[in-house]
Amino acid sequence: MLTLKKKIETIVAELTLRYDSLRKIWQYSDSQPTEITLAAALVTLYPIATYLELGYSPIMQLLAPIAGLYQLYCVSGKCLSCRVRASFVTFSFYLLAGVMYLYCGLLFQGPSYWGWILLAVSSFGSLKRIKKEELHRKNG
Amino acid sequence: MDNSTQIVLAIVTLLGSAGIWKYAEARLRVKAELKKEEKSESDTILYRDDLRRRVEDMDNALKEAHKELLELTQKVAKLETENTFLRREIDILKSK
Repeated sequence: MLTLKKKIETIVAELTLRYDSLRKIWQYSDSQPTEITLAAALVTLYPIATYLELGYSPIMQLLAPIAGLYQLYCVSGKCLSCRVRASFVTFSFYLLAGVMYLYCGLLFQGPSYWGWILLAVSSFGSLKRIKKEELHRKNG
Repeated sequence: MDNSTQIVLAIVTLLGSAGIWKYAEARLRVKAELKKEEKSESDTILYRDDLRRRVEDMDNALKEAHKELLELTQKVAKLETENTFLRREIDILKSK
């Protein structure tokens, strides 16, 4: 009985450690690859997917690729404040997609549509990471 | 979906995302400030500990120096007495 309790405690401690480690990686790891992926998806997949599923929408299909290209430009320029701005725009577009799908009643038609929520969360996480880096550099 | 609905939804989403971001940004700023203060406090504590250690070292050195000074004073006094006796002996020998 005592051994089982100890084993459970060890497993819980290990899982807590792993969870903390994941949280730290999520909060502080380098976000450029994520930013590039999100921007590339905004340029290529976003307009195609929204056009096929929601129909023609100039705000989403014309402005989103521009925002994606702007983010790619900022990531390549290594300017933090520019990256914060671009990430905010990217986050807004992914959130807009989520809202549009929700409005059209598509969001809960299948789990694959939840990907927009995932992308919004991912872009928000990336935005927070860059802001943290900016504040860290400012404060020294 | 007509254009006006799209525009309204876009504006609402933009305002919503701006609100979310403002809130998150403010929280991040507060956290960063707190971290900065903690760091500066820990620096002050380290500096104070360093000063305390240095004062202790200097106090020990002062005590050692006092001890040595006392020993030297004793030796000088001893030598002065010896010198006085030796001079007196020399004078006695000279007068003979």
